Amino acid sequence: MKVFVTGFGIISAIGNNVTKNLSSLIENKTGIDKARFFESKFVDDFYFGEVKLSIDQLCELTNHHDLHGFTKTDLFAFIAFEEAIKMANLSQIELSSVDTALISSSTVGGMAETDDLYKDANLLTTGTEHLYSYGSGVHTTRLATQFGILGFSDTINTACSSSANAIMLGAKLIKYGKAKRVIVGGADSISKFTINGFNSLQILSKSKCQPFSNDRDGLNLGEGAGYIVLESSEIVGDKPKYAEILGYGNSNDAFHPTALSEEALGVSLAMDRAINNAKLAPENIDYVNAHGTATGNNDQVELIGLSKIFGTIPNYNSTKSYTGHTLAAAGVIEAIYSILSINSNTLFKSLNCSSPILTDNPPINKNIANTNVNYVLSNSFGFGGNCTSLVISKV
Amino acid sequence: MYIKDLCYISCQTTFDSSFFETDSIDANAIFVSAKEPDYTPYIPKSLLRRMGKGVRMGIGSGMHLLNKHTNISGIILGTANGGLEDCIKFLNQIVDYNEGTLTPTNFVQSTPNAVAANLALMTSNTCYNNTHVNSGLAFESALIDAMLTLNEVEGDILVGSLEEVTQANINIDKLKGWVVDTETRLLHLVNGNTSGSLIGEGAGMFVVSHDKQQALVEVVDIHTVTTEDINSVWKVYESFLKNNTIEEKNVAFILGRNGDEKHNINYNAFEQQFVKGNSIYTYKNLCGEFPTSISFGLWLSVHLLNKKIKKESIYKDVSMDIKQIIIYNQTYNNQHSFLLVKEVL
Repeated sequence: MKVFVTGFGIISAIGNNVTKNLSSLIENKTGIDKARFFESKFVDDFYFGEVKLSIDQLCELTNHHDLHGFTKTDLFAFIAFEEAIKMANLSQIELSSVDTALISSSTVGGMAETDDLYKDANLLTTGTEHLYSYGSGVHTTRLATQFGILGFSDTINTACSSSANAIMLGAKLIKYGKAKRVIVGGADSISKFTINGFNSLQILSKSKCQPFSNDRDGLNLGEGAGYIVLESSEIVGDKPKYAEILGYGNSNDAFHPTALSEEALGVSLAMDRAINNAKLAPENIDYVNAHGTATGNNDQVELIGLSKIFGTIPNYNSTKSYTGHTLAAAGVIEAIYSILSINSNTLFKSLNCSSPILTDNPPINKNIANTNVNYVLSNSFGFGGNCTSLVISKV
Repeated sequence: MYIKDLCYISCQTTFDSSFFETDSIDANAIFVSAKEPDYTPYIPKSLLRRMGKGVRMGIGSGMHLLNKHTNISGIILGTANGGLEDCIKFLNQIVDYNEGTLTPTNFVQSTPNAVAANLALMTSNTCYNNTHVNSGLAFESALIDAMLTLNEVEGDILVGSLEEVTQANINIDKLKGWVVDTETRLLHLVNGNTSGSLIGEGAGMFVVSHDKQQALVEVVDIHTVTTEDINSVWKVYESFLKNNTIEEKNVAFILGRNGDEKHNINYNAFEQQFVKGNSIYTYKNLCGEFPTSISFGLWLSVHLLNKKIKKESIYKDVSMDIKQIIIYNQTYNNQHSFLLVKEVL
């Protein structure tokens, strides 16, 4: 059973839909800047990959009108989800079929409303408008109930690899005949909770992040959502197929709660398992969409892992230099960028790498157009050592 | 998928084998706390000191099994809230200290994947590792993940759940009307018709395998559905019945009844429509209500199918030879699940 991509939707710092994301990538236009809509003591200290819209503007981008209690995470999820199912041309009957599943992911979920959560948790109110919105799974429940999805629905939280695991589980549901169609993805929004969390670990950068550069000094938090419609070869028919999910690999690094092991154990196991699962050899991979957070630890370890697998690393970049680190949404957003590379025959420049860690094997330093992209490896690594790699291929 | 071994930390004496030989613990309360075991055989003291309750219950029960089973090819957990206490502590620091310089311990432990990650770390297990957080269906999702993953790995999988009760979630659940207004007797919980339920907590772990050897029960099928339309739920149940061979005279039911009048409506309707004179058991009058409490129902079903019966769990008893059990649970009237468990032949 093959797993095809028949639609996808995205909202990120570089655009509110697929078309805008693609044009920003082609123009090498980053979305990382000072925050304009978000309130925190730290807005002037750090750079963010903020979605440049107010809550009211976000509400206008969804077709749904009953938005009481919706958090930014919910709105991002609805906007990207609606674009994905429209592109895949899914009917209500298809959405509500018991073999259509939904697997989403989020780390902060509705806890993005940090101040309201504080009030409700400490009984300072009789219930704020976000009372029912806090759990990581709330956006999924809202998607399922509002779009009438009656099949299996799930939310994954493995920190920064969450939506890569959602894609993997969706592929598995189809592969083993448990679903014929699965909508997979994730959503996260910038919040006081995550800013303070990452700040306490001292890994936020005060400049625009510099993945794979010797000058890198931390990550920029980003936000957004992405959803991909996966359909099995059994039902896909002659619908446009934008890519195939060919393989996946998951491993735990089993080293440290917030750092990856120097020998890149989990990182290389995840990549190795994904390439094997896809029944490919490393030399088949044309391009790697790296995790590339621009923290000291991640980029160094990821390069060690990549070198172990490939020797000379194929073309690679970190699109976090455009979006910032969108946490749970990163895996799916980067999978969508991989699909865009496959379909536009273009590999995008990795931004802000003035002093490559690997001088003779640097990340992509200008767009490569008119290139055949057959097989992509997309990496996502999270706190807790949760490493996942996906192999996505041209149809 | 077969269950080979299991472990539960709850407010009852489920961690050791005394549960079926002793009286059930009762409480007159709005929430019940777990009876935690001595963790020294499972967690180094230096680590234990820094762990919140949910995290240590998950790691303690998980390590209890991982110490006995070394052929583990995956760790898959489900939790609605993870280390909630750490999460709220960190949240309170953010607001109370106006985003000052904070220590990362609470933040790191508050991420729900911290427990599965710690279990991997403590056993140097670099295998498959995943954490599901889909509110009232988090544990069911972990079970489904395990069923799929067993197709791809050689060894067994540790699958489990954890949830802790804290003042913060009692406060939030109270505002939502999910907690009883006044102190309520735990053991009488399912006979009530109260507004809200009695909140509990617990961690349950299971070693699952595709290997029938030493299996205690078989988990045959799991269906879940998220909807506010009860007729859609019954349609999913009918397709669940169609998918499986149910032996009418040998099937008992375990229901997630929690005494809440809002939930009773659905359990009553389920019984009327689908239970034809079979035995019915309940479990939330033993462990309290929490989003992944269905793992306690599964734990109970393993014992029931192996002829261990706890009298407080009997809701309706007819003389029958139980070979199959259907577990029906629902959370907040919009997340419903059906599990089929059967004896190993």
